[in-house]
Amino acid sequence: MKRVLLVLLLGTGVALAAPKVGSSVTIRVLSAKVMKSPKFIGPSAGTVSRGDQLTVKQVKGDWYLVEGSYNGWIHKSNVTEGKVALSSKPGGSGGNVNRDEVELAGRGFTPQVEQQYKDKNPNLDFSHVDNIEKTAVDPTELEAFVTEGGLK
Amino acid sequence: MRRLGLAPMMLASLLAMSCKVQLTPESISKGWHAYQDAKKDLSPENEYYVGRSVTTNLLSRANYKYIEADAFKNGELGKTTAYVNAVGNVLAAAAMGDPRKDDRPSPIAGWHFVIVDDDQINAFAASGGFIIVNKGLIKAAQTEDELAAVLAHEVAHTVRGHAIGSIKKARMAGVYKEMLDSTVQLDEQQLGTLTQAFEGAMDDMIDSMTVKGYSRDTEFEADRVGLKIMVDAGYDPQAFISLLKQVDKKMGHAGTGGMKSTHPSPKDRIAKLEAELAKYDHVKVPKARTERFKSAIAQLEGGDAGKELE
Repeated sequence: MKRVLLVLLLGTGVALAAPKVGSSVTIRVLSAKVMKSPKFIGPSAGTVSRGDQLTVKQVKGDWYLVEGSYNGWIHKSNVTEGKVALSSKPGGSGGNVNRDEVELAGRGFTPQVEQQYKDKNPNLDFSHVDNIEKTAVDPTELEAFVTEGGLK
Repeated sequence: MRRLGLAPMMLASLLAMSCKVQLTPESISKGWHAYQDAKKDLSPENEYYVGRSVTTNLLSRANYKYIEADAFKNGELGKTTAYVNAVGNVLAAAAMGDPRKDDRPSPIAGWHFVIVDDDQINAFAASGGFIIVNKGLIKAAQTEDELAAVLAHEVAHTVRGHAIGSIKKARMAGVYKEMLDSTVQLDEQQLGTLTQAFEGAMDDMIDSMTVKGYSRDTEFEADRVGLKIMVDAGYDPQAFISLLKQVDKKMGHAGTGGMKSTHPSPKDRIAKLEAELAKYDHVKVPKARTERFKSAIAQLEGGDAGKELE
């Protein structure tokens, strides 16, 4: 399975009050689009991954104008100002994480617990959900879909 | 989502139950902070892992028969699945518009809609943005707006955290206890206990989704929130009523099980929704929306599962 870096966050990952201009935010979702305009549907500047850091240049409601690997707008729900540490996604190595990462990973239902569950239930085939979550709807195509269908 | 809040007395009980925690001021302080973290409900990461396993269990029950499975293997969406995911993601974007404090409108792995090759009228919202819709329910929809009503109801379940909310509180008490104990690294016993809780949590969720159903109020809430989501996305709210009438008609010919045993009757749902409908204007549906629905859903008609599955 493709190995992807996973960030384990302190706290719930729920966006807090708006960050200060000039401060850093970290991507909390597995991947997110940096949008050319402050909206979910439309052209994007590029895709950022969990753990990527971006600098906030402007705050407009729930959207942050950011600079980083891509410049553009990102919604507050995709980022956290919290402390982060890196570990592995389920199916990844999982064996080379440091103690801090293990401490974070030890909270609740985690890759370690999922792996244990898989080991106990070898008849369950997780390759399907792995494939399903690799797919995504392109926001530019979604904009065309919205326009064509007279949606908002 | 409802809180899984444990009273401080419960925390004390958990600490007392644990033979590993020494009750020092430091351990109590540490335990209190862990409890405060835990009672914020499961984190989005926790919900994602539970959602993956619930989805796998539901697909397993369907013998992993879902529409356009081969496209998924290539990291792509087949025509019908892409269309359903487009409608679903438009709705998910609309759900971001006005979330409540405890809502979950932004799952960490995004939103994913899968059509299972099952003619029974039903759909399931696992946590973490994974939505499974039976082919039978998709076929009950006559228009894109009715399909949007189906998906909006499921998006609302996820946004409101209904599946996670169905995990028994006693089960979560076990999880929180292990969280308190697991200061650095889980030992084998702790991992075993958490995994047992993980299995139990999934059993609770799957039982609620497939057998017992959520409470009537929970389903009415998913209808009400779903209705607002579809209106915010630009869909016709009247389509929710027409969908439920279709479902009522089709379920009338069906036996027990499926949505019949897990949801309030369509008539009761319509009665509740009609009070909400007064808030919203009727929407004129453009021809393009009708045409693309016919084109994308057409291959589901005919009932030849062999042809529909790749």
